[in-house]
Amino acid sequence: MKVIDHKIERLLWQVQKPARYTGNEWNAWRKDHAGIKVKMVLAFPDLYEVGMSNQGLKILYESVNRRPEMLMERAFAPAADMEELMRAHNLPLFALESGKPLAEFDLVGFSLQYELSFTNVLNMLDLAGISLHASERGESEPLVVGGGPCAFNPEPLAPFFDFFLLGESEECLPELLADLDAFKQTAPDRKELLAKLSEKEGVYVPALYRPVYKEKKLKALERVDPGAPGVIKKRLVKDLDSAPYPAAPVIPYLQTIHDRAVVELFRGCGRGCRFCQAGYIFRPVRRRSREEIVKTAREQIALTGYEELSLASLSSTDYTRLDELIDELDRALAGEQVKCNLPSLRLDSYSIKLADRLHRGKRSNLTFAPEAATERLRRVIKKNISEEEIFTALGDAVDAGWQGFKLYFMIGLPTESDEDVAAIAELCHRLKQYFRRKAGRRISISVSVSTFVPKAHTPFQWEPQLPLPEVTRRQEILQQGFKKMPGVDLSWHDAETSFLEAVFARGDRRLAAVLEWAFKLGCRFDGWTEHFSMSRWRQAFREADIEPEDYAQRRFEYDDLLPWSHLDCGVDKEVFIKEHRKAFNLDADFEGEFR
Amino acid sequence: MTRIKFRFARHAPLKHISHLDMMRLFQRALRRSGLPLVYSEGYNPHLRFNLALPLPVNVTASEEFGEVYLSETVSPDQFVSTLRAQLPESLDLKSASSEDYKAPSLPSQVVAALYRATLGREENCRAGSSQFRAALDRLMAREEILVQKTKKKKKQAYVNVRPYIIEAYFKESGNESPLELYMLLQAGSSGGVSPFFVIEQLEKELNCDCNNKAFWELHRESLYTDKDQFLQPLSEGM
Repeated sequence: MKVIDHKIERLLWQVQKPARYTGNEWNAWRKDHAGIKVKMVLAFPDLYEVGMSNQGLKILYESVNRRPEMLMERAFAPAADMEELMRAHNLPLFALESGKPLAEFDLVGFSLQYELSFTNVLNMLDLAGISLHASERGESEPLVVGGGPCAFNPEPLAPFFDFFLLGESEECLPELLADLDAFKQTAPDRKELLAKLSEKEGVYVPALYRPVYKEKKLKALERVDPGAPGVIKKRLVKDLDSAPYPAAPVIPYLQTIHDRAVVELFRGCGRGCRFCQAGYIFRPVRRRSREEIVKTAREQIALTGYEELSLASLSSTDYTRLDELIDELDRALAGEQVKCNLPSLRLDSYSIKLADRLHRGKRSNLTFAPEAATERLRRVIKKNISEEEIFTALGDAVDAGWQGFKLYFMIGLPTESDEDVAAIAELCHRLKQYFRRKAGRRISISVSVSTFVPKAHTPFQWEPQLPLPEVTRRQEILQQGFKKMPGVDLSWHDAETSFLEAVFARGDRRLAAVLEWAFKLGCRFDGWTEHFSMSRWRQAFREADIEPEDYAQRRFEYDDLLPWSHLDCGVDKEVFIKEHRKAFNLDADFEGEFR
Repeated sequence: MTRIKFRFARHAPLKHISHLDMMRLFQRALRRSGLPLVYSEGYNPHLRFNLALPLPVNVTASEEFGEVYLSETVSPDQFVSTLRAQLPESLDLKSASSEDYKAPSLPSQVVAALYRATLGREENCRAGSSQFRAALDRLMAREEILVQKTKKKKKQAYVNVRPYIIEAYFKESGNESPLELYMLLQAGSSGGVSPFFVIEQLEKELNCDCNNKAFWELHRESLYTDKDQFLQPLSEGM
């Protein structure tokens, strides 16, 4: 067992939640570094509690560590109090399992889940003492790799990474680490090594490409090395049943955001909501078999002692014969006192029925995401549920004894009018009256409203985000509507963080300078309201001489070269164009277009 | 139904976790162990399990206690070997005993705890041991040591915690060994005081001008129950 380094130990009594930095959890891997050929750290650019809730991290941790010749350790972004002490005591960022500095590993892999964690990536590299720019890294420094959803448009991060892995890595990452070890035997320099790696499917080495800009627009992406692939295809797991999946995930000592056993039902989503990046980049739909799900659920419960099991997917009730699966799980986990839950529920009666069957204990809240409050706008985004379906489904849930609902909406969607915004409150008002007639008891409604962020690799990738003042104006319409509605709890996302997210979600390499400035000016944890500072960001944009509005509010034309056009998520541009056109020409093909 | 009381130590690598983390850790270990656990009735069944007294973050301990109800008879030895296999090595399960299941709950039995605070050697306050001793004498001579407590409806109230410091003394030690402060503090449902608070007050009394924050290692030696007006270690009879 690792004895925490004395230096770290002396800092821990001064920080909040010191167990964020101690590792040694139940089911964590403890591998002796001696004799291991390739050593990697998975760096998650957010707090331990957030990172340890990420399913991708758990899967990769399993996929690499089950191979005896390699190892993967974990590192998370230290909170502000810990960072301050680490800098004061010259303590480099270390991996949890061994306490070794990140710079001593062969690879440092960043999980890129969210644009607003980009400054944390830079900060973690800096804390680790690794050169920020890939071009400045010496032969002895680790390779820095990025993966996850944001790797589908990693351009703002391009100069800081040696390479990116596109798509699902649980099968290809161990392969790649083995290759890396083999390449290393021939002792190439860093440049040769990266050129070799770029031949592998899914590997994107940004230094092999050079963007050309003209009048603020991206004109071309030149290949620096003629051997570099013109298009990088994503990697994809063909068969979920045979892909690595943890039977004994690490159990954090601290309470994390999702502190439970998780079994994935299927990957991908066939719904095709036009704003949803996950719905496109994880295509096609691949399901895990019922036998495998039940087996994994049993193993996880037995090996973790978790009291809760979540059946994860992007749209649970799309799993065929879900009712039979639930029956089998019921039998398999009988007497174990396990609560099951089914997130990502669709708003229909079938979903309610299943959620209800699965549920044990108090029926507190159910969560749904109608996203838009009018049928017209729901058709625009392809979230095709009718108002009647919403009322029937929620009515059924009330009959079954559920006590409240959490509803997610978005404002600023393409074609949205003031009426669409006002309709959110009106819909809640009608629901409230309906529940009162139906239930004769108080049904709580809480509404959470985010701002639409156009994302790469979606049919809305060409669409601008609303200008900030307009978002603020629509948020006021929203609040106005809820003013006279006691008992309905309204919360909305900060418009400025959504703006920044939009800048980077469709950004290009020129934004790297902004990121570097923002990091130097002290931006960290930008997704956390208590840390976010728009004024610091404004300064970073000024220093880098970039107008953020040019990015967030830009409308791309179909002919424009998109910063991510060389990255292939598996969906043709024609599909995105067709879906984009359909969004604005509704009546022509609404009926029957769905699945 | 059986009620098992168990004794354990918490070593340094696990001292950074909170009481709630400890509760979850034990509950999950118990669930993995396959022991015949008992759950409460009702909508949200919970495991019938208790720890005697919350152990603060950053404190190690040599004699802590927990209790759990089992639906079938399990011998204390069998219990220890089964649960041990599911606990991290820094949580050292030492022994167990069967208890009368009608006796008051373990947490309600606790009335006091003995702490040992060791002054670290490095990067530390430069005050000498005689200064520390004098500061402690001044602290103990006070009739009132007030703690601000936020009560319901955000009302601020002051509680005098001086009576909760039953005893506090520096162990006689040579010049070479580190300074050790022992504190016997009231604990449990009838009120108590945190060892960190006592140390904070001691440092205030010390009022040293060296600007170095003292680094104390805290350890909980034992827990006590009340036996005919006398303190009796909770380990009695195990």
